[in-house]
Amino acid sequence: MNQRLTNLSACPVGTALPELSLALDRTSIVATALASQDFEDVHHDPAKAESRGASDIFLSINATNGFVDRYITDWAGPSARITKVSLRLGAPSFPGDTLRMTGEVTEVAGAAVTVRVLGHNERGVHVTADVTVLAGLAGTE
Amino acid sequence: MLNSLSSEGITVRNLQDQLDRFAGVAAEPRRVARYPVNEAMIRNWVEAHDDDNPIYVDDAAARAAGRPGVVCPPAMISTWVMAGYRRYREIHRLRAEGHTEDFPYSRLLSLLDEAGFTSVVATDLTQEYVRDIHVGEHITAHITIEAISPMKRTALGNGHFITLLKKYVNQDGELLVEERFRLLRFAPESRKDP
Repeated sequence: MNQRLTNLSACPVGTALPELSLALDRTSIVATALASQDFEDVHHDPAKAESRGASDIFLSINATNGFVDRYITDWAGPSARITKVSLRLGAPSFPGDTLRMTGEVTEVAGAAVTVRVLGHNERGVHVTADVTVLAGLAGTE
Repeated sequence: MLNSLSSEGITVRNLQDQLDRFAGVAAEPRRVARYPVNEAMIRNWVEAHDDDNPIYVDDAAARAAGRPGVVCPPAMISTWVMAGYRRYREIHRLRAEGHTEDFPYSRLLSLLDEAGFTSVVATDLTQEYVRDIHVGEHITAHITIEAISPMKRTALGNGHFITLLKKYVNQDGELLVEERFRLLRFAPESRKDP
């Protein structure tokens, strides 16, 4: 297993998280939608997505939320616990897009660290999220 | 002045009056998960997100991270109360035949459909996780229509934002997640292309 940063108490406001690039394709957009039991056609049927005003199928909000979780715990480590997510969607993410996630610590309150996450794709900001994560349940190594 | 109101203005006002009546109303009967939180569904989810956090799949790693055993990824909460593929198809077939469930939320969506706001996009999501969710817990969601906005002009077209309040509890009624989900019901043909 990769060595992960779990010492959130050593992350003051302004700490930048390592960037994560996610190459999205048709399969990953469909797989994430189906993993959440979301059968809405805009997440798998291009013609129906177009008839509803989108240019192609697009990533579901639950999938975006899942990728934000992953981005946070990739950095914070398995001992951390996410306590709150507040996210706003912007530009949809389509097959072929690369979702580039960046993050910065915006608040530290005791063991609770809040990170502002931005997910950019080719057309702009796909997601803006504020995520609060509680440092190590098991203590830091 | 009365004569300054266009007929369209009156229609819009009537629609808003009707929409406002849904604020604070239970959207539908509670949604009870079809099965308890389980490792197979969790594994499908973490693989689709290519998430290597071991606390979702490995009991020993979860214990090393201070948990009693594997936990559910926080963002996965809504998955447990989804109706499933068969029911999804059935609901869509019934709708195509003109039948809709007689729930406040379905009546709200029908009202918006009739007014031309036929497309939907999720815009905002806030979830507060009270604690970890463990394998074996049985989730129920209580969903309330919290608010319906006046008509807004958006990049996608004219539409109304709907805010749903979802409270996810376990089999003992213990609150696990409180969610606010905002979506836009819009009329795609009203979009003004630049």
